[in-house]
Amino acid sequence: MIIVLMYNGLIHKKNEVDNAFGGMDVQLKKRYDLIPNLVSTVKQYASHEKDLLEKVTQLRAKVTDGQMSTDEKVALDNEISQTIGGIMVAVENYPDLKASENFLNLQRTLNEVESQISASRRAFNATITDYNNAIESFPKNIMAGMMSLKRKEVFVVHEMERQNVDVSKLF
Amino acid sequence: MKSIEELRGVYEQNLKSRLEDLEIQRKTIVKTGLIHGGITLAVAALGLFMDSPPLAIGALIVGLIVLAIRVYKKMEAYRLTYKGQVVAEVIRLIDDSWSYSSETCIPKADYMRSKIFTHRPDRYNGDDYVKGTIDKTDFEFSELHSEYKTTSTDSKGNTRTEWHTIFKGLFFHADFNKEIKGETFVLPDTAEKLFGKFGQRFQKMSSKGKLIKLENQEFEKEFVVYGSEQIEPRYILTPTIMEAMVNIKKQYKHNMSFSFVGSRVFCAISIQKNMFEPAIFRSGVRFEDVQEIHSYFEVIRILIQELNLNTRIWTKE
Repeated sequence: MIIVLMYNGLIHKKNEVDNAFGGMDVQLKKRYDLIPNLVSTVKQYASHEKDLLEKVTQLRAKVTDGQMSTDEKVALDNEISQTIGGIMVAVENYPDLKASENFLNLQRTLNEVESQISASRRAFNATITDYNNAIESFPKNIMAGMMSLKRKEVFVVHEMERQNVDVSKLF
Repeated sequence: MKSIEELRGVYEQNLKSRLEDLEIQRKTIVKTGLIHGGITLAVAALGLFMDSPPLAIGALIVGLIVLAIRVYKKMEAYRLTYKGQVVAEVIRLIDDSWSYSSETCIPKADYMRSKIFTHRPDRYNGDDYVKGTIDKTDFEFSELHSEYKTTSTDSKGNTRTEWHTIFKGLFFHADFNKEIKGETFVLPDTAEKLFGKFGQRFQKMSSKGKLIKLENQEFEKEFVVYGSEQIEPRYILTPTIMEAMVNIKKQYKHNMSFSFVGSRVFCAISIQKNMFEPAIFRSGVRFEDVQEIHSYFEVIRILIQELNLNTRIWTKE
């Protein structure tokens, strides 16, 4: 009886992790969907930022293209975050663009999505901590060993993102 | 926010003279009470002296009724003048665009909408209602007291009604700056405080939704969070907001509950004493009283500022 409860409990926790990753994925997808809008709006005013715009389009194509592992997705997403950040800084040079209704809307939507992403990352980390606590504490660890459940890593902010942004490097 | 010096300045300039005028009114009430009380007791004593208990009891009953009616009327008048002249002035000092009504309170429907308290109140009252806006955020605030009753019948068939307080204190709600679809509750963490880790087991049992564990340890010690799902509470309770809630809790030292429902944030601060009421048995000419009234109203501004409600960088205008 105890074994059944332990087994079910662990399976429950494992599924919660998958579910939380799913939740995060949805938010990330929302951001990918915004990229074409961002590119077309910025293009009208800031043709000099072609490189950044092309880069973000390519990254988007890559991430929506095929099957990728969780780690790869996370790495690509970090890169997308940085490029979008770069575009937002570049925009400072174009007052017309900054003032345009379209761009303001887009900026608000991006802010919204960013805070949703950060919320879902925190939810994801909380579930992973819960899962790791379960599979590593006695006696569940024996059961987890038999079920070959492995410790999962929490979502950490990429080393590059943690450093202070050096604006000059972005151009 | 007004500094203590500024507040003291206003007190010396405007309020002190008003309070001194009110002091005469207060002294009359005390005098009326003492005279009536004295006469009542004297007649009752006379009754006892004359060995006539009915006279003593009759004098006591009639005397107390007259005393209650006369003193109550005078006290009501004193209370209303105090609120109109002193409390309203303190609010004007904080922001003169806010509207204040001393005899109304937040509607019961809004209180119920917050879903902070599960018990349906049988008696609901309050006063000192303030309504206004700070920058882009509109808010409502008042003192509230909600109670429910239980009736029991003993073996002799006598029914007894008892009133139990659900909430007593300050109730506040304001427009929230993000779009929310679900419901999120931030409640005082009594279970964990009383029973430690073991208390966490009780936390899981709630009608308010799923238990949400957040990463700010200090916040987790003070509050317990429930939500209809895992992500939205984290979208609302950013690290900044969690820290702000801990700070407000530390500053006011009262139990606080928050809920995020519909497009609004609700906040209930439990305070047992009656606020914004004048003292009867001591002098009302005291700067500390004015300072206390000011600090309770300041909670509105502090909540809106600390919870960043005026920041509108998300999709909600």
